[in-house]
Amino acid sequence: MIFPKEVKQKPLEYLVLLLGLIFGFCLYIFIDNSQIRRWIIYSLGMIYFCWSLYHHYKRGDLQLSIVIEYLIIILLGIVFISGTLF
Amino acid sequence: MLKKLWTHYFIPQERNNYRASILKPNFLLLLLVAYLLNQSAIKTLTIAKPGILGYSSEITAQKVFDQTNIQRQKDGLSPLIYNETLSKSAKAKAQDMFANDYWSHNSPQGKTPWTFFDNVGYKYSVAGENLAKDFYDTDSLMKAWMASPTHKANIVHTRYQEIGIAVINGTIGGVKTTLVVQHFGTPLVASVAPKNTNLKPSSDVVEPSTEVVNLPDLETSNILGKTSQPLISPLTLSKIFGSVIFIILAVVLFIDGFVTVKKDVHRFTGSNIGHIGFLVLIFLLMLYNQQGSIF
Repeated sequence: MIFPKEVKQKPLEYLVLLLGLIFGFCLYIFIDNSQIRRWIIYSLGMIYFCWSLYHHYKRGDLQLSIVIEYLIIILLGIVFISGTLF
Repeated sequence: MLKKLWTHYFIPQERNNYRASILKPNFLLLLLVAYLLNQSAIKTLTIAKPGILGYSSEITAQKVFDQTNIQRQKDGLSPLIYNETLSKSAKAKAQDMFANDYWSHNSPQGKTPWTFFDNVGYKYSVAGENLAKDFYDTDSLMKAWMASPTHKANIVHTRYQEIGIAVINGTIGGVKTTLVVQHFGTPLVASVAPKNTNLKPSSDVVEPSTEVVNLPDLETSNILGKTSQPLISPLTLSKIFGSVIFIILAVVLFIDGFVTVKKDVHRFTGSNIGHIGFLVLIFLLMLYNQQGSIF
């Protein structure tokens, strides 16, 4: 397996991310309120952003271009899902 | 030439500094703008051409009435008779929800559903109310009601004889929506029965009628009339467009990660696994999102 090489180096970091995303997913499914769901999505975006800052800081490659890349990916996710929240 | 262009955008190589161009921030920003433009186009069409796209273009009082009676006939119950007075109370309820910005059977001012029945002078022995908002088509609306035991109980209640329906556009909580209100009732004739929506159904089975009832023309300013058939739901359109972009991104991220790990390339970029995880989560939630809610 080639892909999990990055994961093997920092398994705990990826486990934390996975648990955070699964928790957000479950919360989203069980709460049937579009306003609260919006906030869950914003929180998930924030969790992913914080995780990325920590992850790259620990890796020693925290750069502005990387931060911008994460911000745009998160923004894409939030905007996309907001478009289907009625 | 085409292959060169394709590999430049989708495959990491020396020419694109070992990062698929589609994953670079400027291209991602372009995708974001494209999606926002698509959303704006959908919203513009919703307002300009409500018959083509819209948050409510397909639902009409007639369709809700017909489908309610179809559900009753499936259960071997007699069809409900359309009652203009009940429709007035349903309309008053919907207007009250818009005016006082709430989404509930009881208003913040303490008005119950029975207040609206009383206000229009409908004397009943049994009465009930179903509410729905944000639905695009009548089929989805009826499915949601029939999947909810309490709403289904109203639709297939053996004691109800009449129905009034209001389908009204407005804004609740700053969000444009369509409210559908069903008011059920049985007029008080001889004896006075208590107000109760949870009466035990009687065992009397009335032969289903096949008579077609056409509702009288309702007000068209707020109530959706008989508009043209919609081509596609805006929710479906958003999902399709979002899904296409997400699948492309996820596949390119996977290829990008695979190739760079295989070639042992070290770059300063975000974590592909993290991106894929986040995007897959968003994709699943996007697919999960359904239209409408009932009360």
